[in-house]
Amino acid sequence: MTGRERDDARAGRLMLAPALIALAVLAAWPGLWVLWLSLQRRIPVFGIERFVGPSHYAFLAVDPRFWNAVQVTLIFTFISVALEFLLGIGVALALQGQQRGRRTAVALLLLPWALPSVVTGRMFEWLYHPSAGLLNFLLGGQAINWLGEPMLALPALIVADVWRTMPFVALLCYARVLTIAPDIYEAARVDGAGAVATVRDITLPLLRRVLMIALLFRTLDALRAFDLMFVLTGGGPANATETLTVYAYRSLFQTLQLGFGAAIGVVVFALVMLVAWGYLRAMAHQEEAPA
Amino acid sequence: MFTGGSRGRALLLALSVLFAGCGQRPDSAGPITLVFKHAKILGPSDPVPALLREFERRHPGVRVQAESLSWNSDDQHQFFVINLEGRGAGFDVMMLDVIWVAEFARAGWLLDLTPWVPAEELAPHFPSTIEPATWNGRVWAMPWLMNVGVLYYRTDLLAKYRLHPPRTWEALVDQIVRIRTAERNPRLDGVVWQGRQYEGLTVNALEAIWANGARVFGTDGVVFPEEERAAGGLSLLRALIVSGVSPSWVTAADEELTRRHFGDGRAVFLRNWPYAMDLFQTANSPVRGRVGIAPLPGRVGGAATAASSGGAHLGVNRRTRHPELAAALVRFMAGGEAQKAMALGGALNPTRMALYHDRDVVRAHPDFPAVHDLMLRARPRPVTPAYLMLSSTLQPEFSAALVGVKSPRQAIEHARLRVGYLLQGLR
Amino acid sequence: MSARSAVRDALTLAALALWAAPFFWQALTSIKPDVALSAVERLLAAPPTLDHYRAVVQKSIMPAALANSLGVAALTTLLAIVLGTPGAYALARLPVRGKQLLLLGVVACTAFPQVTIVGPLFVLMRALDLRDTWLALVLADTSFALPLVLWLLAGFVREVPVAVEEAAQIDGAGRLTALTRVVLPLVAPGIASAGLLVFLMSWNELLFAYTFTATEASRTVPVALALFPGVYEVPWGDIAAASMLASLPPILIVAGLQRWLVRGLTAGALRE
Repeated sequence: MTGRERDDARAGRLMLAPALIALAVLAAWPGLWVLWLSLQRRIPVFGIERFVGPSHYAFLAVDPRFWNAVQVTLIFTFISVALEFLLGIGVALALQGQQRGRRTAVALLLLPWALPSVVTGRMFEWLYHPSAGLLNFLLGGQAINWLGEPMLALPALIVADVWRTMPFVALLCYARVLTIAPDIYEAARVDGAGAVATVRDITLPLLRRVLMIALLFRTLDALRAFDLMFVLTGGGPANATETLTVYAYRSLFQTLQLGFGAAIGVVVFALVMLVAWGYLRAMAHQEEAPA
Repeated sequence: MFTGGSRGRALLLALSVLFAGCGQRPDSAGPITLVFKHAKILGPSDPVPALLREFERRHPGVRVQAESLSWNSDDQHQFFVINLEGRGAGFDVMMLDVIWVAEFARAGWLLDLTPWVPAEELAPHFPSTIEPATWNGRVWAMPWLMNVGVLYYRTDLLAKYRLHPPRTWEALVDQIVRIRTAERNPRLDGVVWQGRQYEGLTVNALEAIWANGARVFGTDGVVFPEEERAAGGLSLLRALIVSGVSPSWVTAADEELTRRHFGDGRAVFLRNWPYAMDLFQTANSPVRGRVGIAPLPGRVGGAATAASSGGAHLGVNRRTRHPELAAALVRFMAGGEAQKAMALGGALNPTRMALYHDRDVVRAHPDFPAVHDLMLRARPRPVTPAYLMLSSTLQPEFSAALVGVKSPRQAIEHARLRVGYLLQGLR
Repeated sequence: MSARSAVRDALTLAALALWAAPFFWQALTSIKPDVALSAVERLLAAPPTLDHYRAVVQKSIMPAALANSLGVAALTTLLAIVLGTPGAYALARLPVRGKQLLLLGVVACTAFPQVTIVGPLFVLMRALDLRDTWLALVLADTSFALPLVLWLLAGFVREVPVAVEEAAQIDGAGRLTALTRVVLPLVAPGIASAGLLVFLMSWNELLFAYTFTATEASRTVPVALALFPGVYEVPWGDIAAASMLASLPPILIVAGLQRWLVRGLTAGALRE
């Protein structure tokens, strides 16, 4: 039915076109600009503007501050995303079984997301305050220096991030779970499957696709993490919470080394694309493998 | 419903036509409009709008539109960089942190004010504000608001033990130990200051380094020429934390966090800017009437005192369409009348020296004469277009020394290397 | 309804309430005087006050900011869903060439950190003379929202068995009718959740809103909140009150959308 296929392909292109055009104009152009900028040494304050090719990347390859930022970014991403997902799936499953008060539960769930993120950072700053903060108060009045201790700062930020983003994952899983027909669970129960087996063999496999997509986007977001670090610790103490994007920001807007900052941005881009490509491969494998 | 791409595109076009007019656009024909970007001023009343109306009165046909900036210095800087680098002449007069003036001047973003500002007009301002306003022999901005690092202390506690404000850090530590041992209050901290990894850390660290008799730049441009003494300054701060004289969380503290702590009666000493005094004297402040201001201590064998200056200047966008009017606005806002109105209206410090002994102003701010003396001895941070680069490179090193990740000596050494590398070829 | 499930329900609600505790803490801060903020015991003991809400309402920038935010977020959601749904369907079902590459390309559009592209985007907005307009923000937010919508909805569409669509097509429906009459109702919860996420993303967006707007009249809520503090002092209680007010629209929208989300469960159950 190649005629049909041709029609389909044409329809597909037409349906995709508006979205792709919008993206091309709005996202591709700035992206290309950044790529081009990363190959220049551009320091507007001193009027320096010249092409230097991959010189910034060569510098980054041996820059200890850069590698520290890579480490911080990867640790933050890995732990943050893992926690979000474990908790998010758990919450979605709990909501699935909720019979009364479902709407209240979902409303409660989304409160962290409803609070303006501009405020969330400052709010956690107060929660983590060593003497006036709620957290230390609940821990019995110990003056633990959450944000000022190199070993504690990154975990503290991870907790703040998971607080905000777990609802994202939970909501997506919950929406997917809502579309699963109850008969399947009926059949499983008739067959005598217990709760754990039901989750493991029925719910999770059905959730897989949504989970993979949510995982991809959450990983991408975490790799580009900036706001929390910048507001709460400024990337400190001693760069213990300086992610790649914080390093890029400092280079772009504080030291005004536009080319250098762009180069760091490109590294983040490359990391993100690597992860995206990996996910696409993994998902393609899932499609091929028998269910 | 959808018939594919073409309908969708039409929808988009309709939407954009519909909403293209949904914004404000400055009126091109009509009165001349000057745009003045500044951070909002909190206080009993904001004096700026009245001043701008007064300016409009004196210049018929001119309208001044004030637009707010974020209070956060980083956000402000970022905003200016994007707009000025992207050549958006959306504003004429801007409020600049003192540390940016040389940078913006070198970048060619500021209008050279030398033709409009005679030398006598700068004379009434504090010397430490004039230094950052001029660069390469030309005037690039006018001083507007002033800051100086001060030592706040609890007058009641010091009086109780018959102590006077300490002149050296050694004396300060002694006093704290005495007071805390006698008071037996576990919730009373010694001295709090700003040690989070941001510009405030550079300020605090430089004050300690200066107190120890070291400089940032030598005459030949060498960074930290007195390495030992510079490291000694950092050691002082680290020792404060290690010995418990300062709570460990100062490494995550900024001005507001420390101000509240002291304002709650939880510390004997506080290093901060003068703005806090008015807040300590409000009706329901726990420390009302029990706070004094003193110069920041020096060190035995070092400097007598070391305080950083700060504040804001007013500059003109080089791409303004009304250079003469914009310069006039700057001169007006920096003038005696306007600064007096601002001193009376908000918790701000003017840059004109005479105002600190003006009767009306002193009535509103009794601590002004004392602050005046402190400001005479304030030191500006290095005035160089590369200041932010410098500070941004120093902050992680200072922070590392404070939290014990590096020794102060190592921190200074690394700072020297990195700054040296950064600044090579940049003049 | 057994007692055990009642207990379970209550426990879930309690756990979620505990998770949202910081939010309630912020709400508490908004009704207590600033002076009491420095110690938890003091905050709890202080008498409640409506001063902060009064100050926020009187400042009168919040109503305008709320309107701007609502408008921008609603339009962004509309645009992202309108552009994204057919695109997602095409990616999921139709034999478009170079699909893998397209998917990667779509992700690439959000792969740069926001802080790196705000500069060139600003130049673009200025060139199009869109400074201070809703359209600038809508376009900028959509560029970040669209990839998520495309991927998410493509995933939801793929969950719809091909057989269901083919059944409709055998009955004489074309591709489009199949999309609108058959597939869309089945992925409604997906669209609703994607829409909600886009709405919240746009609602919370700060960097672009701060950079592309200049006048007070065009501020959105995050920008208004960021501009609350003065040169030195941070009015905590006022900010808390303003953020409570700012959280209301998203909460109300979620509450309203709930019915729609749940309806997907009862209507058109899928046979897996």
